[in-house]
Amino acid sequence: MQKNALHILLADDDEDDRLFFNDAFEEVRVQTNVTFVHDGLQLMEHLLTPDVKLPDILFLDLNMPKKTGKECLIEIKKTEHLKNIIIAIYSTSSSEEDIEDTFIEGANIYIKKPSDFNTLKKIINEVVTLNWHYHTSGLNRDNFLLRLK
Amino acid sequence: MKWIPKFNSSNSLRVIFVIAVFILLFLSSIGYKHNQDLNESSKLVMHTYEINIQLERLMSAIKDAETGQRGYIITRNDRFLSPYTYSRDKVNTSFITLKKLTADNPKQQENLQKLFKLIIQRFTSFENCLKYSDPKTYDKRKLDNHMFGGRILMENIRFKVDEMNDIEKKYLQRRLKIYDQEISLSPVFSISLFLAALTFILLAYRQISNDIKRLIVINKKLLISSRLMSESEVIGKFSTWQWDLDSNAIDHSDNQYRMLGLRPRQFALDKDSFLHFVHPDDKENVSNAITNMGIKKTLPFVYYKLILPNNKLRYFKSTGKLLTDQHGSKILLGINFDITDEHLLNIELQERNKELEKSNQELASFNHVASHDLQEPLRKIQTFISRVSDADKAALSQSAKDYLDKIEVSAKRMRVLIDDLLLFSRTNTTKKEFLKSNLNDLLENAKGELTEVIDEKKAIITAGKLPKLDVIPYQIEQLFINLIGNSLKYSQENINPEITIECEKIHSYEYPDLLEQNIKKFYKITFTDNGMGFDPQFKETIFILFQRLHSKTDYPGTGIGLAICKKIVDNHRGHIIADSVPNQGSKFTVFLPE
Amino acid sequence: MKLFIKFDINTICSLFLKQKLEEEKMNFTTLGFGEIELDENLSVEALETLKNNLGPFGFEVVENQKSVLVQKIKDAIIELVYMDDNNNFKSSVFLAEKLNHSYGYLSNVFSEVTYSSIENFIILQKIERAKQLMLVNEMSLTEIAFLLNYSSVAHLSTQFKNTTGITPSAFQRIIKKRRENLK
Repeated sequence: MQKNALHILLADDDEDDRLFFNDAFEEVRVQTNVTFVHDGLQLMEHLLTPDVKLPDILFLDLNMPKKTGKECLIEIKKTEHLKNIIIAIYSTSSSEEDIEDTFIEGANIYIKKPSDFNTLKKIINEVVTLNWHYHTSGLNRDNFLLRLK
Repeated sequence: MKWIPKFNSSNSLRVIFVIAVFILLFLSSIGYKHNQDLNESSKLVMHTYEINIQLERLMSAIKDAETGQRGYIITRNDRFLSPYTYSRDKVNTSFITLKKLTADNPKQQENLQKLFKLIIQRFTSFENCLKYSDPKTYDKRKLDNHMFGGRILMENIRFKVDEMNDIEKKYLQRRLKIYDQEISLSPVFSISLFLAALTFILLAYRQISNDIKRLIVINKKLLISSRLMSESEVIGKFSTWQWDLDSNAIDHSDNQYRMLGLRPRQFALDKDSFLHFVHPDDKENVSNAITNMGIKKTLPFVYYKLILPNNKLRYFKSTGKLLTDQHGSKILLGINFDITDEHLLNIELQERNKELEKSNQELASFNHVASHDLQEPLRKIQTFISRVSDADKAALSQSAKDYLDKIEVSAKRMRVLIDDLLLFSRTNTTKKEFLKSNLNDLLENAKGELTEVIDEKKAIITAGKLPKLDVIPYQIEQLFINLIGNSLKYSQENINPEITIECEKIHSYEYPDLLEQNIKKFYKITFTDNGMGFDPQFKETIFILFQRLHSKTDYPGTGIGLAICKKIVDNHRGHIIADSVPNQGSKFTVFLPE
Repeated sequence: MKLFIKFDINTICSLFLKQKLEEEKMNFTTLGFGEIELDENLSVEALETLKNNLGPFGFEVVENQKSVLVQKIKDAIIELVYMDDNNNFKSSVFLAEKLNHSYGYLSNVFSEVTYSSIENFIILQKIERAKQLMLVNEMSLTEIAFLLNYSSVAHLSTQFKNTTGITPSAFQRIIKKRRENLK
């Protein structure tokens, strides 16, 4: 469906979660290219590197050392050339407050980390598909809000 | 406009007395005049009678002379001549008296003159008779003439005397008549005046006695209330003072002295001696407050500490207000309260509150952190289990497969428990943002969350119209989810669950449980189901955290759901109650303030 | 100052594409949204140049026949959803008639290419329209439900929630706060 591989970036400090994430993407039908960063500082460094290929979707854990996911989110949305990146929050928290807050700060997707690998795969599939629709079918990205459990 | 006489009792009394005094003065002057008149007329009568008597004496003296002369002529005895000799003196004496008595009456004086001439002529006649009866000079014809002439003179004298008596009598009668005329009018007049005066005095007396009665009653009340005041000051630990702004004098009540540890009226308490007791920290404050009070005529609450003579610390509160009495003099009325007990209690309460708040916060954050952090490893466990593929499982022994299944079930249960706990702790910790929300929408959302179960159980949910209220939207949604979820979970086998949601507006007085809140109007939302219900004896405990009425194998659950409901309703200052008839259904009633 | 501009992405794209192709000095006819017939056949190099020139603006030349069909299906769906009087159309019938293929075939091709179903795409588009109506036209949910042919507000809400994971009211709240944040 996509000529070029989808470029995915995951910022998460938890090694196991990165592993699950990577495995899930490998099993997804879409051709993807997954990059990992381990904390918020590293993420911002990566994104602000000149000539770096910006991700199509950024998966962002909220609870990270050095710089929290929320701080990163706010920073990204304030940076002119980064603010159009589709951001999917990927967190353990299911607090309505966190969810609404991150949406207000500009996140497009909120994923509660599932406790089942198959669910994870399903979720990733959904995100990728919907993202593609948004990309190709003239949908207004400003109104792109998706919450997955 | 109605005119109301502005007579107060003392004024009317004064008027009555003045009138009465004038009447009495008038009466006594009339009496005095009558007395005077009476005196006059009795003198007049006396005068008349005296004249009468003197005239009679005169007559009798002449008669005595006549009798003595006759006796002498007949007997020729000299002894008969002595009355005749004396009678001349008697006549002269009476005559002089008469002359004095009739000095004010010229007519009588004239008559008296004539009478005197007649008497002299009579005595001349006596002399002549004696002369002609004397044997020496006896002349019968002359004697007879003179005797006869004597008798005519005697008659003339009698006539004159009678005339004089008549004149006096007439004069007396005329005077008495005038007097009678004068005196005949006065009795009616003076009696009526006297009665009027009496009436006035009686009226005044009644007024006075009424006033006295009233005064006694008022005095009694005053006594009671002043006694009551001083007693209540002692009991209520407060004192009063009056600051007369005109004379700048401050009068403290007895209890003020007692509260300062002094004997009542031990010495005159003024601003400086009072400030002497104030704690150094508050001295300036209190002093300023007193000064300001003099200027601004009011005293907002001041709080300060006092050090009593026995070195004890007391906490005081004072306030004051300007009063203007009917004479226009200005008095600042003040009250001092000894609030030491309340203050200490308050401090204790505040400390307890702080402790409680702290321990509550600790508990909440512990709960949140614990459940939140527990999630991570659990999620990993579950994910790793899910990664054991069917192919992997095939390689395991049956018992190993069973163990893996059991681990999965336990992990799932732990997941539910942690999720519920998180939910519970979140109902406490999240910011309470109240938004005007349509509860119908929230109910729809709740039903949406439960779609799967509703469809699976073929449940029928009927809801009446719900209001728009200021609520925390997620929480109310959660409340609806939990209550409906609860009904669905404990439905009866083989009966499709039916849940009826009704709403009505009520007054708090209809439900005594609601009276503790200072809110008058509530919305009462009832959730009635046809489920298996529960024993009504558990209708209170059902809302306690981790209370379960069923074993977890029969009905999975954590015993947190209804506790969350209660917490949510509490957050909204509402009230929740449950009731049930076993095997017929339960009814949950939520009261939310309007 | 802040302006909210209502626009029709199709018109913009068509205009923009026309302008670009005219710049390339090509003769063409527009057949529908996203479909263009060139008067002459292009060489491989020329086609590559065209792709490269259009690429930066987000235009992509679709080569695969199935992809072309999918694009047509999408266009038809958008047309259907944005029709104001769509009560009389059943989507499957509409698509089959419009594209001259059986609905089953269309459905298969669509799933094969996009990994999602036509139904899902229709819902996605309807919800997208609902969002627009909500935000731009400030319509109430009742009005939107009526306009988009939903049986009830509850139905719309449920579908909205199922598609986006959030309720319509939460969506409105979030967008409103986002705009406030931007000020």
